[in-house]
Amino acid sequence: MEDSQPLDAALEFIASRWGKRSQYGVILGTGAGDVAEQIQTDIVIPYSEIPGFPNATALGHRGELVCGRLANANIIAMRGRFHLYEGYSDQQVRFPLQIMRALGVELLFISNAAGGLNPYFESGQLMVLQSHVDLMFRAWKQPTTITTAGRPRTRADIYDRNLIQLSMQHAMSNDFVLHRGVYAGLLGPTYETRAEYRFLRRIGADVAGMSTVPEVVFAAGLGMRVLAFSIVANVAKPDVLEPTSGQEVIDAAAVAAPRLCSLVVNAIQHTQ
Amino acid sequence: MLDLFDQVNDAVEFIRGHWKETPRAGIILGTGLGTLVDQIEVAASIDYADIPHFAQSTATSHEGRLICGTIGGLPVLAMQGRFHMYEGYELKKITLPVRVFKAMGADLLVLSNACGGLNPNYKLGDIMLIDDQINLMGDNPLIGINDDRLGPRFPDMSEPYSRKLVDRALRIARHEDIVAHKGVFVAVAGPNLETAAEYRFLRTIGADVVGMSTVPETIVAVHAGLRVVGFSCVTDMCLPDALKPANVDEIIAIANAAEPKLTKLVMGVLAEEQG
Repeated sequence: MEDSQPLDAALEFIASRWGKRSQYGVILGTGAGDVAEQIQTDIVIPYSEIPGFPNATALGHRGELVCGRLANANIIAMRGRFHLYEGYSDQQVRFPLQIMRALGVELLFISNAAGGLNPYFESGQLMVLQSHVDLMFRAWKQPTTITTAGRPRTRADIYDRNLIQLSMQHAMSNDFVLHRGVYAGLLGPTYETRAEYRFLRRIGADVAGMSTVPEVVFAAGLGMRVLAFSIVANVAKPDVLEPTSGQEVIDAAAVAAPRLCSLVVNAIQHTQ
Repeated sequence: MLDLFDQVNDAVEFIRGHWKETPRAGIILGTGLGTLVDQIEVAASIDYADIPHFAQSTATSHEGRLICGTIGGLPVLAMQGRFHMYEGYELKKITLPVRVFKAMGADLLVLSNACGGLNPNYKLGDIMLIDDQINLMGDNPLIGINDDRLGPRFPDMSEPYSRKLVDRALRIARHEDIVAHKGVFVAVAGPNLETAAEYRFLRTIGADVVGMSTVPETIVAVHAGLRVVGFSCVTDMCLPDALKPANVDEIIAIANAAEPKLTKLVMGVLAEEQG
């Protein structure tokens, strides 16, 4: 039996500030600014005020829970996420997802900026995650008790196939490129070496990043459906590798942001 | 990671109490490869146990002393005996000496290791210049809140080992008639050696040699802004279809036999650091 007291305290606190439930949750990564802007905000709760919530340390991440409405549906957004390279434990990464699940979230959107490995990808394009390769070397201890009526999902359907299909159709009818591919999750914080890029490409990864896998694994364990997108920040060409620049990531995110937002809105409209 | 900065300063202050010079290079030597230290004109020799925050060396054939002195006139710090993940140390602890080198003023890290050869063109006793690396240790020494005083949050790894130094070492090897390759080093946590299937896997993903060290030190060196040159000595051929049980004594004997070649290469690389 796991101690559910911290969770209960956090839920009680959130309920005192926002008395609603939400079917939709979103973890806003780099380039998801448009999604955040489109949300009609009811209330913004800094992580630091929520009992038991880990504090966000990563630069450029604000660390707050945004509660409001998007496409006529209630939504809870995490602005600022918890990366393993910052030293958070599996349990700390899991905690916000348990909160989302308890608040009613059934479909979780996740976004990230990732390094492209597939040479057919271009900087600024989007990829919907079909699957992932977990190279984070963690045990991913799932909660022993699922406090809500969650259905733990099996590996085979972690990423919702219908929603992937729906997203592909949306991209096609709106005339932008949406790849479908495999995300390799790595611990970081070092960027990959040339040899590591070749290795990841060889084992079937299309993009590589330092987030998302823990969130997806825990969300699935808690019974949520997941729809996840990568913004291709830069395409690594290991044979002519250049240093990765932060600016490239920001530029790519600017191109992809409105498209990413429309994909999230589209999925909400089709699942309500 | 925020206590590292102070730990480094404690260690530096202690070492300065024994040796006043500014090292140009830091050296960490691998299994059976420690006799390079004989080339050092030793000014001070400090037990790890005496240095604040230093771990203790427990691995076979690794001594536990920090040697301060000059090699061919160049001031250096050399670790006689290194720390490994399989000894149970945190990677932050293993790599503390690299940060100490940097804080003492060094701008070059010289690494060596005894490794298993995966590339079938390699032979026992060959030296490989590490051109690139794959981290399969399942950990990273930079995990935790980043201390910007020590290095950037997301270090670029497009050239972890200085290409200039790889070329320099290969040129010296040609002049000295030493067989030296250039290839990819993959690091695993160990301590068990790999199965035949794992050797196939590591070869398939692009590795030429495999070992249980070096990668953490290189990551921290890149984080700290040190140039790195790494020498792997093939002490065990890991050909999965003709795999023989590994014998640690044999591995150490081969390392000892190859050591003079390594010494020549390191001395040659350092000689061109002068001036």
